[in-house]
Amino acid sequence: MGKKRSDIYSVEIHGTQDLEKTDKEDEEEKYKNLKGNKKKSKKTDDLKKELDLDDHKLSKEELEEKYTTSISKGLTSARAAEILARDGPNALTPPKSTPEIIKFLKQMVGGFSILLWVGALLCWIAFGIQIAQGVASAFDNLYLGVVLALVVILTGIFAYYQEAKSTNIMASFSKMIPQQALVIRDGEKKEVPAEQLVVGDMVEIKGGDRIPADIRLIFAQGCKVDNSSLTGESEPQSRSCDFTHENPLETKNIAFYSTTCLEGTATGMVISTGDHTIIGRIASLASGVGNEKTPIAIEIEHFVHIVAGVAVSIGVLFFIIAVSMKYKVLDSIIFLIGIIVANVPEGLLATVTVSLSLTAKRMAKKNCLVKNLEAVETLGSTSIICSDKTGTLTQNRMTVAHLWFDDQIYSADTSEEQTTQSFDQSSQSWAALSKIVTLCNRAEFKPGQENVPIMKRVVVGDASETALLKFAEVILGDVMGIRKRNRKLAEIPFNSTNKFQLSIHETEDPNDKRFLLVMKGAPERILERCSTIMINGEEQPLDRERAEAFQTAYMELGGLGERVLGFCHLYLPEDEFPDTYPFDTDSMNFPTSNLCFVGLLSMIDPPRSTVPDAVSKCRSAGIKVIMVTGDHPITAKAIAKSVGIISATSETVEDIAKRLNIPVEQVNKQDARAAVINGMELKDMTTEQLDEILINHSEIVFARTSPQQKLIIVEGCQRQDAVVAVTGDGVNDSPALKKADIGIAMGIAGSDAAKNAADMILLDDNFASIVTGVEEGRLIFDNLKKTIAYTLTKNIAELCPFLIYIIASIPLPIGTITILFIDLGTDIIPSVALAYEKAESDIMNRRPRHKKKDRLVNEQLAVYSYLQIGILQSVGAFLAYFTVYAEQGWLPNTLLGLRVNWEDDYYNDIEDSYGQEWTRYQRTYLQWSGYTAFFVSITIQQVADLIIRKTRRNSLFQQGLLRNKVIWLGIFSQIAIALILCYGLGSVTALNFTPLRVQYWFVAMPYAILIWVYDEIRKLFIRQYPGSWWDKNMYY
Amino acid sequence: MAALNEKKTCSQRMENFNRFVWNPDTGQLMGRTLINWVWISLYYVAFYIVMTGLFSLAIYSLMRTINPYTPDYQDRLKSPGVTLRPDVYGEGGLEIYYNVSDKKSWEKYVTTLHKFLSAYNTTVQHANINCTSEKYFFQKSFLGPNKTKYSCKFTSDMLENCSGLENSTFGFPEGKPCLIIKMNRIINFLPGNGTAPRVSCTAQHDDFSPLELQYYPVNGTFNLHYFPYYGKKAQPTYSNPLVAVKFLNITRNAEVTVVCRVIGTGITSDNPHDPYEGKVEFKMKIQD
Repeated sequence: MGKKRSDIYSVEIHGTQDLEKTDKEDEEEKYKNLKGNKKKSKKTDDLKKELDLDDHKLSKEELEEKYTTSISKGLTSARAAEILARDGPNALTPPKSTPEIIKFLKQMVGGFSILLWVGALLCWIAFGIQIAQGVASAFDNLYLGVVLALVVILTGIFAYYQEAKSTNIMASFSKMIPQQALVIRDGEKKEVPAEQLVVGDMVEIKGGDRIPADIRLIFAQGCKVDNSSLTGESEPQSRSCDFTHENPLETKNIAFYSTTCLEGTATGMVISTGDHTIIGRIASLASGVGNEKTPIAIEIEHFVHIVAGVAVSIGVLFFIIAVSMKYKVLDSIIFLIGIIVANVPEGLLATVTVSLSLTAKRMAKKNCLVKNLEAVETLGSTSIICSDKTGTLTQNRMTVAHLWFDDQIYSADTSEEQTTQSFDQSSQSWAALSKIVTLCNRAEFKPGQENVPIMKRVVVGDASETALLKFAEVILGDVMGIRKRNRKLAEIPFNSTNKFQLSIHETEDPNDKRFLLVMKGAPERILERCSTIMINGEEQPLDRERAEAFQTAYMELGGLGERVLGFCHLYLPEDEFPDTYPFDTDSMNFPTSNLCFVGLLSMIDPPRSTVPDAVSKCRSAGIKVIMVTGDHPITAKAIAKSVGIISATSETVEDIAKRLNIPVEQVNKQDARAAVINGMELKDMTTEQLDEILINHSEIVFARTSPQQKLIIVEGCQRQDAVVAVTGDGVNDSPALKKADIGIAMGIAGSDAAKNAADMILLDDNFASIVTGVEEGRLIFDNLKKTIAYTLTKNIAELCPFLIYIIASIPLPIGTITILFIDLGTDIIPSVALAYEKAESDIMNRRPRHKKKDRLVNEQLAVYSYLQIGILQSVGAFLAYFTVYAEQGWLPNTLLGLRVNWEDDYYNDIEDSYGQEWTRYQRTYLQWSGYTAFFVSITIQQVADLIIRKTRRNSLFQQGLLRNKVIWLGIFSQIAIALILCYGLGSVTALNFTPLRVQYWFVAMPYAILIWVYDEIRKLFIRQYPGSWWDKNMYY
Repeated sequence: MAALNEKKTCSQRMENFNRFVWNPDTGQLMGRTLINWVWISLYYVAFYIVMTGLFSLAIYSLMRTINPYTPDYQDRLKSPGVTLRPDVYGEGGLEIYYNVSDKKSWEKYVTTLHKFLSAYNTTVQHANINCTSEKYFFQKSFLGPNKTKYSCKFTSDMLENCSGLENSTFGFPEGKPCLIIKMNRIINFLPGNGTAPRVSCTAQHDDFSPLELQYYPVNGTFNLHYFPYYGKKAQPTYSNPLVAVKFLNITRNAEVTVVCRVIGTGITSDNPHDPYEGKVEFKMKIQD
């Protein structure tokens, strides 16, 4: 985190504080369990409900009485301990968590586990019956049952471990430093951990501190707080000890827990702690908002249903067939077990988890930290992004964007890494303007940052002054030196009544003994005080024409959504104001009118340079980007335009009305692609109206919205069946973040509550990172399709042997244990390797998938894998099986119907096709050779399957065989595992493998090649005839 | 990962399912129109016909490469299995349990033996030649009828007292039963390396007096001229040589576990996994 923090800009100081939050214990609990809460969503209006708080109305004495404390001496330590014991520590209780054991058990019964448990149970039942009947091979069933149970338990442990690991990432992310609070107890100032604060404690706060609890201010000096984490308002708000508003949220004499004190100092009394604080209530409310299942969870569930459906129906069907073919019921049960094991891709869910976590890791590198693994894919299916403006789309720092002097507007560079400014700086007016900008400014760089790039230096001061300071530093260099040389003699800081800031300086020119009065402020106020205007360095009278030029420029800059400041100066005549003149700011014994107007500077929080590109990427990817901001509509619209959320050619209803000169009501709403909606309008809208707006307009900006309205917007989008991503940083955003399909919290500026509620955290607060996340999410969806197609294919090759075994009564071609070795051995690494596959085409050029229509496992995928490639594989494997038996003396025709005798333990002289006689064990050993041959053939054909699954549409040659090196690792691992099982462990009887003759490895090879050729033909037709019958039925 | 609960009601599900089975709006049956079903079925029929064709072709060429006389590999049959007649299995494997006075209890053994030996009567064996040599009977070429190789005659009378001809009850009622030991056929297998392999039976636990046995043919040997076996196609009338063992002093009313081994070079009987390789183990209990 240390590295991260150095990147933080001055105005974001308060943002970093959130990272240093205190509740260290059970942070991980909090994150894990937000998802688990099932309470149905309470009305969001609850957020706005009146708070039963009247402490702001009480006088100091009443407060002292109410909380039995003393303003001067604070509580006694004993009393504090008493209250602490009563109220508990001052920390938010983490949401109730599901016990670990429950989570673990959930993994044990989720997905295919139930099916495998049933298999294991059947095994044990069969074992029980057989042991009672005294069958010698009964223990095989016991072992198989144990193996199945082990498989379930191990995959369960694995999934649990993966989940725990991803929550651990979170835990490490939020490593926190315990917060200290300066408290008065027993009449002495003491540092105590903020957690031990109790109601009635007197605390002192200074600029930069995080407010440790809800506090009623008793004393305040120049205190400003940033309430953005609570209310979403980004403007600093002043705090005093006066009761100014009935509503506790609005009154100035209460500071809230988890907000930040930006400047000034204050002393206050703690009036509520921990969960009783406003934040605490909101946090508990947020956890009440129901959480939707992630799209990928729905997809996997759908897939599990398909596979389980196939397994159960084939199992039952063949159970009935077996029984009606006069097989013993016990045998039929054993067949059923085989069918279940063959049908269930045991390793797949683990593979999916690994693939998702690989992508999560990749995304974390790109600054998207995923808390919930499944959210990886959700981002890919996102169709609407509701993005914050400040900090996400913009740089979250005021920057000088335009200048107006000499009757001309100049643009300034607003990029993140500016080092020079290229506008014309030769004019004398600029020299004068730059002097005002430099001198009439109270912001200062924190010392010791000489080597830090200017734009990244930390500044003490408000946002506008910081912008001006940095602007001056970039152009002039050494602002602090200039100020030193132009010593400040007097100063009137900015206040809301004057709306200007003024200072008087000596000049650095030793020959010029005049003082320089510089002033900046609201342009119209400044202009009022001016009688002349500087043009090209010359003072000229401010006539009507000049004033109009000023107005035009002011309007234009204001229209860009920028904050405009006017600058003027006056050289005080030497004779009237000699060296020793006593300037007095209270009596204002110096002129403040008839000044010389120099110019305008306008500032904006400029868009991040990567954002316009990212927005256009979203657009081509079919993702609607909606801006939701608390800012003024004009500013919002300007930023929206500059980043492309509102494209250059789009108009809003108001724009059309203005262009055609007709009233707004007459404009056909369908003509307007863009819409800027004010929070006030939104408040009065019905659901239908909101839906209409969301449907009719493709470019939407919500301005002046409260964070609560975000939730309404999100719900509106979800009604359109959209997968909605929401960004947010404030505490009040958390319900919206939870409601969204994927909540994205800001890593730098985000509050803890937001991070808690989110599924993903943007480490760099940058919108562009979301887009890379979307790309990864889409890629993983495609690749999971490939993985599943790959895995499902061999299930048929595992299933067919059982079916043929039952129907044709041949010796069993492949054993249950062997199947497990494929599912959990050779196939694992290759299926993970598919997660590394590169995209086939530009995935950012297609529309987001439809939640309900574009399934992960669709009919085409299942049918193509099961009924085509799967069957091909079975045929290849059966050929190997028949070859092995035939070359040992058992020709195919002899094998048919042989099963009963073959498996008869007492039949020790069965004749083969050549008249040789075999004992039971000799046959069994041959049967294992058959297993091994079948296994090897499936493995060989799975290599082909792996290669064809690299692409779904493109030819293998287009995709390139070598681009994904992990695939090769997969192939090698597959073959290596097969070799080890076959030759290394061939002598271990329990594993049912035998060393296989080398040539049998090649029997299925022609079929492997056939699989590849067939798939290339399939892809060729798909590319050649898009939209054709073939495309519809063969493309998965 | 994915829980199995969904919020749809049962009736909704049924409705959805009915709609899936037959959708009147689009004329879709199970998600496809009828014509679509025809096309897809035709495709699959064609696909599977080609698959079957390819598989048949592969099996056909496999059969073409296979030698009809000897299998390509015999590595699973290194040593022959040995079996016992009568082969009656009880809970613990081969069991010869009977009561001398109870005809019913030993009749099944006698019947089994008669049935088994019916393949060795002179009429069945008449196609085979009489062999007298005490050496392996190698035949390089097919001199027999219909391009076959000759097989040596083995008739039941070679089992003398145990042939069932003179004593049709095989000594069961006397408590001195005849049991027959058979060695499995393996193509081109030459047991004994020039000396005839012989059967040797021992009681597993020698608590009782040592077994008194009478082997037929004498010494309990398998004559070498029955080997090598050339396979079903070359020797269609081949029958395994047999050795009969007459148990003369089985203690009454006690269970005796007997192991009969075939002793000869190349015949192993120590495979821990295969109880029938080179030997056969059985239990006997003769009651009064």
